Amino acid sequence: MLQDKMTPLERMTAYNKGEPIDRLPCNPNIANGAARVIGCKISEFKGNGKLIAKAQIGAYRKFGYDGVRIFTDLYVQAEAMGAKVYYPVDDTANLETPPINDVSEIDKLQPADPYKDGHLPAHLEAAKILIEEVGQEVSCSGGIVGPFTNAFFLIGIEKMTKLIIKNPQAVHKLCEVSLETCIRYADAYIKIGLTPTISEPMSSTTMISPKQFREFSLPYLKRLIDFIHLKGKGVTLHICGKTENIWVDMVAAGANCLSIDNVASLSKCKNKVGDQVRIMGNVDPSGVMYDGTIEDVRNATIECVKQAYDNPKGYIICSGCSLPINTPFANIQAMMDTAREIGYPVNIDELW
Amino acid sequence: MAQDKEQLFRYLSDAVVEMEEDKTVAISNSIIEENIDAYEAIEKGLSDGMNRAGQLYEEEEYFIPELLICADAMYAGLDILKLHLKVKGAGTKNKVVIGVVEGDTHDIGKNLVRIMLETSGFEVFDLGRDIPPRDFVEKAKEVGAKIILLSTLMTTTMEGMKEVLSILKKENLRDQIKVMVGGGPISKGFADRIGADGYAANASDAAKLALQLVAGGVA
Repeated sequence: MLQDKMTPLERMTAYNKGEPIDRLPCNPNIANGAARVIGCKISEFKGNGKLIAKAQIGAYRKFGYDGVRIFTDLYVQAEAMGAKVYYPVDDTANLETPPINDVSEIDKLQPADPYKDGHLPAHLEAAKILIEEVGQEVSCSGGIVGPFTNAFFLIGIEKMTKLIIKNPQAVHKLCEVSLETCIRYADAYIKIGLTPTISEPMSSTTMISPKQFREFSLPYLKRLIDFIHLKGKGVTLHICGKTENIWVDMVAAGANCLSIDNVASLSKCKNKVGDQVRIMGNVDPSGVMYDGTIEDVRNATIECVKQAYDNPKGYIICSGCSLPINTPFANIQAMMDTAREIGYPVNIDELW
Repeated sequence: MAQDKEQLFRYLSDAVVEMEEDKTVAISNSIIEENIDAYEAIEKGLSDGMNRAGQLYEEEEYFIPELLICADAMYAGLDILKLHLKVKGAGTKNKVVIGVVEGDTHDIGKNLVRIMLETSGFEVFDLGRDIPPRDFVEKAKEVGAKIILLSTLMTTTMEGMKEVLSILKKENLRDQIKVMVGGGPISKGFADRIGADGYAANASDAAKLALQLVAGGVA
């Protein structure tokens, strides 16, 4: 089996400078599946920073991928603002009840204090352990749910969706208070030494129109990214689903790296905005990584590399979204092995 | 008079497409006052409007927010008109059972499919979310459903879809009840592998496929 010759941090630093590297950076994007690596139940992550860190570090050490992230589910920020979250014993959490049910209650919402509210302190504890144990060898990031998406969880997904048409002012108010939570959470991560990454699934044009994205999501996203830049960190922005018609806006928001879904095209993305941003993606996390064979994973990984290895601002091999929790280890390993097999510089003619 | 009637249906359809709930209610009321057939008004007005909204969604003119508001308008009109349905219209609709499989509580996608199925003339029995496999089959038997539609967003609950199919097989119902699957992690390949009759990537395709399946089933 091929071994890496550089640590992930050495590799990323060299790649950023255009210096020689042993292989392209690769991040299969394990989320709660890290629980499988250490053999705990996903619900045990709830409020347990030590265990979250142990699982993420364990998964990183097992596969040797190029980025470790603290991220459990989409609802930690909303929970810290008063939402009730349902925790299945061994599956990813889901929203149970939002903190408010009606527009008239928006003024009751308070931005979360990441050092006090909900399970945010546990996530920050995990972040500290991550930096202490692996911060010298791999880039560590803290997952943040973007202001627009988090706003859906404050009043309920269906209600918020309708407010976009019926009460734009209310949507803006929700996004404003949501943004403040995002900024405080990002700040707390940065103070520990992590780089925030933003997930904004509701901003997908599978959900809303490009025009609605520009009106309701982009302004808040941009303010969050501006804040992170001000603190000296770059930003990876992931939006699930279709995004082609908002790539230009995602770049305008200030993203340094776009992580795109497998329903979007890496080559189109490269041609459209690759001279301005790094791109990561987009092996199908469900059809290939979870449900495919090792050979499927290898083929899909090579196909992604073929499409984007020459992206002017760089390319990171990745899944199109967080991996399903029961993704076979063999498939995760296969993505890493394929990246090692391809090596660097990429010789496109030798890929088959 | 006939022209007036057609025109009212057109207005009703337009009100749904244009997301005008109050207007939809007002026109529905005048249809009742003028003694126009409620069944026809639902078909040519409300359903037509929702179909057009679905078309606009496919063309990426409309997105989920527009679709949900159109559906609100449609349902507001339906609440008025259905009270005046003559009995003959009832009982002729094809019945389907829909729900999110056990272990999953994400239901926006399922709700959109329900809306489009109702728009396409199905009588829909919506079991809701987090539904055990056995319940789908029992409900389908009880109401005489032609199709069971299963939705999930989670890979961890995809197994529940297989279970519904194996219960149907065990009870020798597989020939009478078609099964459609959909949701984020589901693919055509998965649907074929578990032996489902159909997969659709979005709500309007799901409704079209359901129509094809019942048409095929009759022949």
